[in-house]
Amino acid sequence: MAEAPHTQTLDALRAADEPAFGGKSSSLGELLAGGIPVPPGFALSTSAFHAFVRESGLQRTIDDALSHMTIGDVDSVSAASRTISEAMRHAPIPTAVEEEIAARYAEVARAAGEPEPPVAVRSSAVGEDSEEATFAGQQETYLWVRGAGHVCDAVRDCWVSLFSPTAISYRARLASAPEPAMGVTVQLMVDAGVSGVMFTCNPVSGDRSMIALNASWGLGLAVVGGEVTPDDLLVSKVTGEVVREHIHSKELEYVPDPRGRGAVRVDVPAERRDARCLDEAAIAALVEVGRRVERYFGSPQDIEWAIARDAEVPEGVFIVQSRPVTTTKPAAEKPAGGDAMSMVMATFGVRSSDGGQR
Amino acid sequence: MASTTPATGSFPSPYEVETLPGCEGWEEMYPYYGRFLESRREADEGRFWFWNSMHFPEPMPAFDVVCIDSPYQGIGSWQNRVFAVPPAMGIDWRVVNGYIYITGNPVLDPEKVAERAEVFQKRAGYYYENWDELYGKWRSNMEELIAELAALEVPDLPEYEPDEVVTGEQNTSFYRVQDAYSRTLRMGDLMWQHHFELLLLGYGAYATLAEFCKANLPDIPDQHIAQMVAGIDVILFRPDQELRRLARLAIETGVDGAFRQGRTPEEIDAELATTEAGRAWLEELEQVKEPWFHMATGDGLYHFYRSWLDEPSIPYASLIGHVAALQAGQEIERPTEQIREERDRLANGYRDLLDADAQATFDDLLNLSRKVFPYVEEHKFFCDYWFLTSWWNKIREFGALLARNGFLEDGEDVFHLTRHEVASALDELTLTWATGGKPAGPTHWPPIVARRKEILERFKEWNPPPALGTAPEKVMDPTLIMLWGITDERVRDWASQVEGGSSLNGAAASPGTIEGVARVVRSVDQIGDVREGEVLVCGSTSPAWAPIFSKISATVTDVGGVMSHAAIVCREYGLPAVVGTGRATATIKTGQKVRVDGTNGVVTILDGDGDG
Repeated sequence: MAEAPHTQTLDALRAADEPAFGGKSSSLGELLAGGIPVPPGFALSTSAFHAFVRESGLQRTIDDALSHMTIGDVDSVSAASRTISEAMRHAPIPTAVEEEIAARYAEVARAAGEPEPPVAVRSSAVGEDSEEATFAGQQETYLWVRGAGHVCDAVRDCWVSLFSPTAISYRARLASAPEPAMGVTVQLMVDAGVSGVMFTCNPVSGDRSMIALNASWGLGLAVVGGEVTPDDLLVSKVTGEVVREHIHSKELEYVPDPRGRGAVRVDVPAERRDARCLDEAAIAALVEVGRRVERYFGSPQDIEWAIARDAEVPEGVFIVQSRPVTTTKPAAEKPAGGDAMSMVMATFGVRSSDGGQR
Repeated sequence: MASTTPATGSFPSPYEVETLPGCEGWEEMYPYYGRFLESRREADEGRFWFWNSMHFPEPMPAFDVVCIDSPYQGIGSWQNRVFAVPPAMGIDWRVVNGYIYITGNPVLDPEKVAERAEVFQKRAGYYYENWDELYGKWRSNMEELIAELAALEVPDLPEYEPDEVVTGEQNTSFYRVQDAYSRTLRMGDLMWQHHFELLLLGYGAYATLAEFCKANLPDIPDQHIAQMVAGIDVILFRPDQELRRLARLAIETGVDGAFRQGRTPEEIDAELATTEAGRAWLEELEQVKEPWFHMATGDGLYHFYRSWLDEPSIPYASLIGHVAALQAGQEIERPTEQIREERDRLANGYRDLLDADAQATFDDLLNLSRKVFPYVEEHKFFCDYWFLTSWWNKIREFGALLARNGFLEDGEDVFHLTRHEVASALDELTLTWATGGKPAGPTHWPPIVARRKEILERFKEWNPPPALGTAPEKVMDPTLIMLWGITDERVRDWASQVEGGSSLNGAAASPGTIEGVARVVRSVDQIGDVREGEVLVCGSTSPAWAPIFSKISATVTDVGGVMSHAAIVCREYGLPAVVGTGRATATIKTGQKVRVDGTNGVVTILDGDGDG
């Protein structure tokens, strides 16, 4: 692409691009650089959002609405959010940005081998607080979006989410409120037969020899959104064997809308509901890719994954997101090394205060 | 202020356990000090007693009490008087309706603990540092003792003394009988002394590695720790390895036709003896018998656990199985190379997950465990199997002597007298032999034996509770933890278990889940009842139960940790196992359908009343 100031293909991004493209896009770039199977796609930088606000004259509306708002007054915040969102939804995306999106989407279409391939459009939060921003609701996901026009609409919807009542309140509470900004990730969709998340450690005990897998039928929405109780497996990273498993009844799943756009929630047929949704080969493939992701980033990872419907593994396994696990026990709590013989002595009840000969 | 764990509950008082109907007066066959006496009621009710079903799954015959006293003398001597393990002295035992309950004697005075810590560090340190040399000495001591036992002659009482007595080359027979009996008892004591010399330290090194691994990697399966440490060329596997070799030899030399299902060892031997190749095979078998057929058919602590030499149907059943497998083109070799690779892969895999300083500690602890663990695995063969099965046979010779002289109806009845009563009977026998007087023994002993046999049969119908007395605030005794798996958690489980509950918790000893029909096996003479595909439910097992493991689909035991024999063998055979459930044999009935989840350590009774 001759000139593309607002977008970049995912595989060109690295961690250093986080300030401009947000955490999600830049980490997908890193995964691709690490040879991890990630569906192809592109990213919008925060400059696209800034151009949108600037060229559509929205800045004034935003400033106005926010200045009339009383923090802590739910109705007032909601009103401001409504005013801004309405204005944004009706504002056109700058032609230059629109053209870039269309060109990038065409690249994805070429790679996918179909004219209007389904993509997922997700917000990619920026800044050190992106973790918290996620919880503050600044995370939108639009699945199974087809056609450049609809991609542009979904991108706009992501931007709108910056001004949800929770997001506004969140920023207002910060000591030095950042200028609202956001990147967007557009990625080819995997029609997942099974999807879920995995931690490359046991998030409960902090054990790094384990991989904790949650898996359910269909697109990842059901697991990530907590709408089903997924199959819950603990797998040894060292041997690959399943150490513990709890197979749950998975009542519903998300599948692509048969009308072609979006995802719909359907009941899981009775015969699949109580079945374990991962076979041995799928578990092995996930463990393998989980280990590679962890090795590449150098720390335990929280990974979203999907296995393409009716696909063989490992070819059908895709990683759609990875971020560092933040909930494990800090290393300081773990007993470090020490003198082996003193430890043996302690087994027999010798306390370190006993002094002694050694 | 330091918080203390509240008492976790209490168990039935040992003083309130009722004597079974028809067993009145059972106490007289056990020593006074092994009973719950009124004189120490207050103290004993306040202690935590658990049924040692790992070593004593069956009611205790009077003579077999030797195998309580001597081991606990041995364990206490080393733990308390030699090494002075800081918080724990030795083990006390009591008998209830024929079943053996034990408890540890803790050291409570902090100053005493500190004083013992100094002794312990010096002496245990010496052992760990000189382990290989000390183990070498140990091996030769044991081999010497076994040879001495084999050479010991139990003399008969002749009509006239031989000429050697006249020429002064030999003592009189009364003295020789007395001397042989007391030497036999002393050799037993010496074996138990040897038995515990290295055992505690061996287990301790292993337990430390396990604890270290779990502190760093809380979910590491116990069986992986065991696999990282387990020896490759362990003596315990040798007997079965020799059988596999003999099975191959039978095929190679074309005599495998003799090994047909349902044949007795005598029938097989008879057919082999008809051909030259068959006779060559039998010669090879004779070579193998010393020492490998000194393998026991049980865990060795009861007189009725015999050796392969005594019960050849056990190794022959294995031989028939191996031959059939080879004929069907199956691989029967223990995959040692694969086991070795797996062991290294696990060790390296877990090591890589640790921080650099923890890696160094891991290496040290793993190396130490690998150095000391062969002893833990091998002492069984030398002590519990080889020595003990020979020793019981020596006692049988005294039984035969008493039977020949009318003191017993059958030589086997000797095991229903205490060792002191046997000494007393021998006293009278040698006395009346010398004096020509009429012995009272022939009318005195047989009714006593008959009564005790009847009582023991009734005791077998009783389901001993897993624990009696008061639950401890904390299990302090490293031996109870390491050898019996008596952890705080286990005590809590037992305390909370509602009788008749439909699920049991234990240690996840070998992964996998299966459903099957339970077969409760209380003693080794019942292994013949086990049918193909059944779930073995027992007090505990030993690897010498080899024939059973190729038949069953899973194992559940009352007592034992992940290093118990049931656990080790089930991992070898790839069978799910849950060990240390406390009351599987009391709760599960033969014929019930059960689910054994060896991955999570849960046994669920699914249906059926069983056959009771």
